[in-house]
Amino acid sequence: MLRLRFHGRGGQGAKVASRVLGTAAFLDGYNVQDFPLYGAEKRGAPITAFTRISRENIMERGVISDPDIVIVIDETLLSDPKAMPLSGLKKGGVVFVNTPQSPLETQERYSITDHVITLDLTKIGLDMIGKPVLSSLAAAVASRIAGIGEDALRDALEKELSGIISDRGILEKNAEAALYCYDAVVPVQMKTTEAIREGENVINIPFETARVSSPAINATGNTPLRRTGNWRVFRPIWDYDLCTRCMTCVARCPEGCIQVNEDGYPYADYENCKGCLICARECPVKAINDVREMHSQSEEGEL
Amino acid sequence: MGKEMLTGNGAAAWGVRLAEVDYIPAYPITPQTEIIETIAKWISDGAMDASFVTMDSEHSMVTAAGAASATGVRTFTATSSQGLLYGFEMIYTVAGWRVPLVMVNVSRGLSSPITLGPDHNDILAIRDSGFLQIHCETCQEVFDSILMAYKLAEDERVLLPVIVNMDGFYLSFTREPVEIPDVETVRSFLPEYQPEHAFFKPAQPMAQGVAVLGGEFYSYFKYQMHLASKNALEVYKEVCGDFEQKFGRKYRAIEEYMLEDAEYVLVMTNSFSTLGKAAVKRAREKGLKAGLLRLRVLRPFPDPDIKNALKGKRAVAVIDQNISVGKGGIIYSEMAGCLYNEINRPLLLSFIGGLGGKNISPEEFEFIFDKMTTAEDTGIVETPHLLYTENEWKEMAGLKEIAGKG
Repeated sequence: MLRLRFHGRGGQGAKVASRVLGTAAFLDGYNVQDFPLYGAEKRGAPITAFTRISRENIMERGVISDPDIVIVIDETLLSDPKAMPLSGLKKGGVVFVNTPQSPLETQERYSITDHVITLDLTKIGLDMIGKPVLSSLAAAVASRIAGIGEDALRDALEKELSGIISDRGILEKNAEAALYCYDAVVPVQMKTTEAIREGENVINIPFETARVSSPAINATGNTPLRRTGNWRVFRPIWDYDLCTRCMTCVARCPEGCIQVNEDGYPYADYENCKGCLICARECPVKAINDVREMHSQSEEGEL
Repeated sequence: MGKEMLTGNGAAAWGVRLAEVDYIPAYPITPQTEIIETIAKWISDGAMDASFVTMDSEHSMVTAAGAASATGVRTFTATSSQGLLYGFEMIYTVAGWRVPLVMVNVSRGLSSPITLGPDHNDILAIRDSGFLQIHCETCQEVFDSILMAYKLAEDERVLLPVIVNMDGFYLSFTREPVEIPDVETVRSFLPEYQPEHAFFKPAQPMAQGVAVLGGEFYSYFKYQMHLASKNALEVYKEVCGDFEQKFGRKYRAIEEYMLEDAEYVLVMTNSFSTLGKAAVKRAREKGLKAGLLRLRVLRPFPDPDIKNALKGKRAVAVIDQNISVGKGGIIYSEMAGCLYNEINRPLLLSFIGGLGGKNISPEEFEFIFDKMTTAEDTGIVETPHLLYTENEWKEMAGLKEIAGKG
């Protein structure tokens, strides 16, 4: 059985990617199970999705803790202590990372010893689809690595995307970009060894008083410690020559991330700005530009 | 149509579509919403001919569903967890009306603390209501069970509502290949409902769901529900036979997995049974004669099938994915009640596992098999054991620290 785990942020397409792969493998004659996992839905929050592909009956359910293949759709998750995309990856497994960097650079930057494949899916999405749409591209990459046929992928894209994309033109662009990614990945001969499970110890849990065991939080809030700047695909940048200091962007920022400097010009808190670009759209004089974020080259990527 | 990759929710929606349901009152709740969204889209696109109404709450929703069902139209609704509890009053009421409503519950742990993962305290809360209960392990089973549920509910010997249960996330959002038959085959299995006792016809007025004062009257009606529910065991067998003939898939009130020569038996329900079956296979490879009994029909409780299947077994471990606070596993008590008067009853062990969707690891299953063989040697059966691992305890300790509980 092949077990694949996708890591992305809510809205990037990890769930759809796992489904396109699932359908492709199903059309290729495999037994398949696919399954997304997210808590209370939130755009930008880390999510995982899973696809199991097998010739035999699948006697597993739920999360995949020992994947053969990990697909990292959002590079910043590699440094997120909660997401931990590489956890449990089997020896001999494959990691795909959506990044402009080379496999070697990626291995070094994130201390990965496993086989790494990289491709700048975001750039391909922007160039070929016009949007940073990643689901079909990630599905194509995963299909290639998992050894699923191109025809099955093509049919799966049609089947899965036609239900969610009504514009035929965009659908075709998606398929074209996906097949481009499929061809761009060099297939690997993957030989994973079954992970040697660290035996779990089953325990008896003791009584604790309600002061400890009630679902109440006694600590002060810690939400500000959770930076959201690495969710950005685009960074808003102000052109102060055009800015009239009208404060529209300050008022419209849904996150309260835009402040004003001593001269009255707005600036963003890039540690928390999620890159929604509402500011750029609302700016009456178009003084805010969007620049593609390269997290692997920026300090915010470390957050 | 052949096989399609469908989630449990998608499979439920297809069951409703092919059962040619007339009326669906709805109210959204995670992880059920995909069912009513799918149906709403089909109705809006003209793919399905039915009336769909979004209600103000689950209480109104269950009332509307029961009332519509009492006019003789085929009715469906779905909910989950807190939603089922919010409609709780009307669950009992509608069952007493003796109408063939079919509902889906997508299991989700109950508040507090509020959560999203599945366990069965929601569905088991309505255990005594009169609704028949079918619990599903796979997405295919969800689809099949909806068709079977209507046939069962609409039978004159039963006429009780049926609730089909699936686990949130583990089935509701998990896609598997599901065989979708054509509508003609479904019609030959489940023809249009021809109500004989509750319908709406101006020429033939009737009052339904009336009040009775006096225990002798009340007792009569309640016990009639019980007898109808007991009848459902036989009717269910007929429905299963018919279903197998039409669709080729075989169901019983219980599923026996490697059970025939088994000595040590796990009792489970719903989607986690898949994990139990894998554990049974691993135990067999190590030479232990393990087996699994999955309860598919929980109401009526299939006592005769269980007694028969567990005859001569050495030890039986019930894994309850629920907790009756202050007592332990709900199904354990039911199993104990079922087996108590058997002459050669097996040792019966109780485990609580998978609350809020917590995984049950291979080691936890090994632990259960160990406990069974130990109990056999010593004759001592301990109190209910919560399946929990050291790593999970460490994670919990971390959470407590963040919450300032240190």
